[in-house]
Amino acid sequence: MTPAVPGPQVLLTARGLVKEFSVRGQGGAFARKRVLRAVDGVDVELRAGQTLALVGESGSGKSTTARLVARLLEVTSGTVEFQGDDVTRLSGAALHRFRSEVQVVFQDPYSSLNPRHTVERIVTAPLVYQGRSVPGGARAFTRSLMERVGLNPDHSERHPAQFSGGQAQRIGIARALAVGPKVVVCDEAVSALDVSVQAQVINLLRRLQREEGYSYLFIAHDLAVVRQIAHRVAVMHQGRVVETGDRDALFASPAHDYTRALLAAVPRIRPEWEAARRARARTRETADGKRETT
Amino acid sequence: MTAIGKTPPLLEVEELNVTFPTPQGAVDVVRDLGFTLEPGGSLGIVGESGSGKSMTSLAIMGLLPPRATMSGRVRLAGRELSGLTDRQLRRVRGDRIAMVFQDPLSSLNPYYTVGTQIEEAYRAHRQRVTRRQARRVAVEAMERVHIADAARRVDHYPHQFSGGMRQRVMIAMALCTEPDLLIADEPTTALDVTVQAQILRLLTEVRQETGAGLLLITHDLAVVSEMTEEVLVMRAGACVERASAERLFSDPRHPYTRALLDAVPRLDDEVGELRTVHGRGPSPAAGATEGDER
Amino acid sequence: MARFLIARLSGVVLILLLVCLFTFGVFFVLSPDPAVQICGKNCTPELIERIRTNLGLDEPLLAQFFSFLGGLFAGRTYGVGESATHCAAPCLGYSFQSSQPVWDMIMDRLPVTATLAVGAAVLWLLAGVAGGLLGALREGTWWDRGAMVVALSGISVPNYVFALVLQYVLVVELEWLPFPGTVTFAEDPGGWFQNYLMPWIVLAFAYASVYARLTRANVIDTLSENYVRTARAKGLPRHQVIRRHALRPALTPIATVFGMDFAGLLGGALITETVFGLNGVGKMTADSISRNDQPVIMGVTLLAAFFVVVGNVVIDLLYTALDPRVRVNSA
Repeated sequence: MTPAVPGPQVLLTARGLVKEFSVRGQGGAFARKRVLRAVDGVDVELRAGQTLALVGESGSGKSTTARLVARLLEVTSGTVEFQGDDVTRLSGAALHRFRSEVQVVFQDPYSSLNPRHTVERIVTAPLVYQGRSVPGGARAFTRSLMERVGLNPDHSERHPAQFSGGQAQRIGIARALAVGPKVVVCDEAVSALDVSVQAQVINLLRRLQREEGYSYLFIAHDLAVVRQIAHRVAVMHQGRVVETGDRDALFASPAHDYTRALLAAVPRIRPEWEAARRARARTRETADGKRETT
Repeated sequence: MTAIGKTPPLLEVEELNVTFPTPQGAVDVVRDLGFTLEPGGSLGIVGESGSGKSMTSLAIMGLLPPRATMSGRVRLAGRELSGLTDRQLRRVRGDRIAMVFQDPLSSLNPYYTVGTQIEEAYRAHRQRVTRRQARRVAVEAMERVHIADAARRVDHYPHQFSGGMRQRVMIAMALCTEPDLLIADEPTTALDVTVQAQILRLLTEVRQETGAGLLLITHDLAVVSEMTEEVLVMRAGACVERASAERLFSDPRHPYTRALLDAVPRLDDEVGELRTVHGRGPSPAAGATEGDER
Repeated sequence: MARFLIARLSGVVLILLLVCLFTFGVFFVLSPDPAVQICGKNCTPELIERIRTNLGLDEPLLAQFFSFLGGLFAGRTYGVGESATHCAAPCLGYSFQSSQPVWDMIMDRLPVTATLAVGAAVLWLLAGVAGGLLGALREGTWWDRGAMVVALSGISVPNYVFALVLQYVLVVELEWLPFPGTVTFAEDPGGWFQNYLMPWIVLAFAYASVYARLTRANVIDTLSENYVRTARAKGLPRHQVIRRHALRPALTPIATVFGMDFAGLLGGALITETVFGLNGVGKMTADSISRNDQPVIMGVTLLAAFFVVVGNVVIDLLYTALDPRVRVNSA
């Protein structure tokens, strides 16, 4: 199969994804059940070694789409093609294999990590569940994994509560990487973090992609964050993808009204203040440089 | 401003200290904080989680949890608040100082209509008000924050509003007593970016209309840069830098402020490795503060 | 609203049918042959046979079940010819012991049980909520600890023990109350009240303890809600913050528990009634169990199930009134 478009090979393709939930309408117990279409005909394409970001506001269907792709939810209709298989129909051993190819990192690291387990147990658990042996033994494996995500390997016997939010999210990433996936779905993985910590985690994700070639499906509501990490961006609104494009093109000249509204709404620091600050920082750096050379 | 008969500042905070007892000993969540806010002025307090910014606002309101101890002086228009009895302080709260909180859904009581909750705020500070008068005030307040069809919506319950509309209700509730000072604690953090833009615009608008001072607590540097004339950066309970917005954003002096500004992902920056904040400073211990570091 | 009611009521009917089927199964299929029991000591095979035919025990099980159901809704006739007796709807059969219609027996005793349940419910609600509120508002003080120690003892001391202690203290030692007798309200309201006072207290104590703990936990939770902070930020007086913003949300879930408990009690308070010799449904049940009087046991089981199921529907309706979030969105 040769990809029609140039660039890296397409790794995962979702076509016509639809997910309906039956919900009670307003009025609680008295309401008729009605069907809510959370995802309404979504197509996405994820390329090897790249990041596709799904951005949108709450209720846009971005998280549901991610869960459908990772098969944490069953589709109402549509297909997800990954390495020649339709993921929506996998079962048994094939589904197991898929689970080690596609992993998810969630928003709240504390609630998605078992508080009673040590880091070692948390990161080796996916392998144990899948009946695979832990390469090099649990301790060594955990240590190397912790190093890869920038954690102190000596802390492998600690529990999630003993880590800060950013560190806990690194454990979440380590757990996802443990099974050696090709695709990592990051579902608002940096949204709950403080800016300084967020920057570290974004840098980590980028480094891992650069060095180890992961593909990310990156779900976020923050456009500025998306811009730091995505190669391609799909903007979602009310269950549909309203615009898809390469990052720079999409941010430079958004085609859809909704994308424009979204971009316009992002608060920003005044450009002239920013320019002044950068200019000062540069002169400071050159001054520092001079001082070092003398 | 004349030298004689000079009006006192709207808000003066001096040597404010807030301490929480923990099993590991007392933790200072706010240390030696001081600032002033002129009538009609605006001050943004920014900081990451655990910086003590929310505790500062609660301390001013006299709403600290009972186990917290507080020292220092808080003066509102020259009147000392720190020595007041709970009953006296109650008359100030909601009347001269009103507060808007982060999560409008949980901050409104689900059991009462929004009208009832606004009326309650008004009647708490006005003698001999009939139900009808209070109701008219509630409807007017809702109209002022641009809730369409206020006369009908006044009888709706919080769950029947969207997130942005709920925050408008909170603002209406804060405004109905014509306060001199509005404290907004992360007023848009729980909202979508387009809704955030609307709420920020609304806050600016009501400030212009009523001439109330604004104390804005947020983690978002871009939001303060758009909203307030003055900015105070907090870290680990203490003030790191305080300056006019223009000075702070174009010429940040403290390394922490610089690092924080570097870490913010932007829409119009070159994409590259994000600078990160090194070390998180003397961080107050867990539990007592609001977030990340557990 | 109408659709909701119809849906709920058909659910109720279905559940009651299942309960019928189950109790029928348990009492008539798994237990020893009722004909042999009724027959007694001087029994002949012919007599057993005749009893069987009379009660319809010779029919297939399913047919027996349907005639039982038919009896409930339309009444049924036992036996044929001269010995035939008609049992009017709702027919729950006849007691093996006294040969009285089970329905009449229950109806005779229900007022006693209802009186006991209502009085106790009033007491336990008042005491439980007050105790819980005291604990919550004075959290961590001696008031709180004291209330919770009393509550814990209410839960852990078996209520027959408490009943005996109370009787000994109030009747024997202090002579504040007379020995329990049978006095109707019409004859002597004062005596009636004294007569019921101890059973009320005993029955209420255990419930009050549970309610106090529940109320305390709920109020403490609610006090830490953001909307309570909002209420304080608005400058509302403390009593208003507590009454309007903490108590109402905290007590709403208690209404659910209360409905279930109260409905359950109408099926009889076995121990309390027995200890105080109150001739209510509970005592009747206890007596019937000891004598293996199956129709009576089955009748009481059905009645209790009926109260619980109907109580549930009432709670649901009540809940829509108490909690706006589940209320119908009237246009």
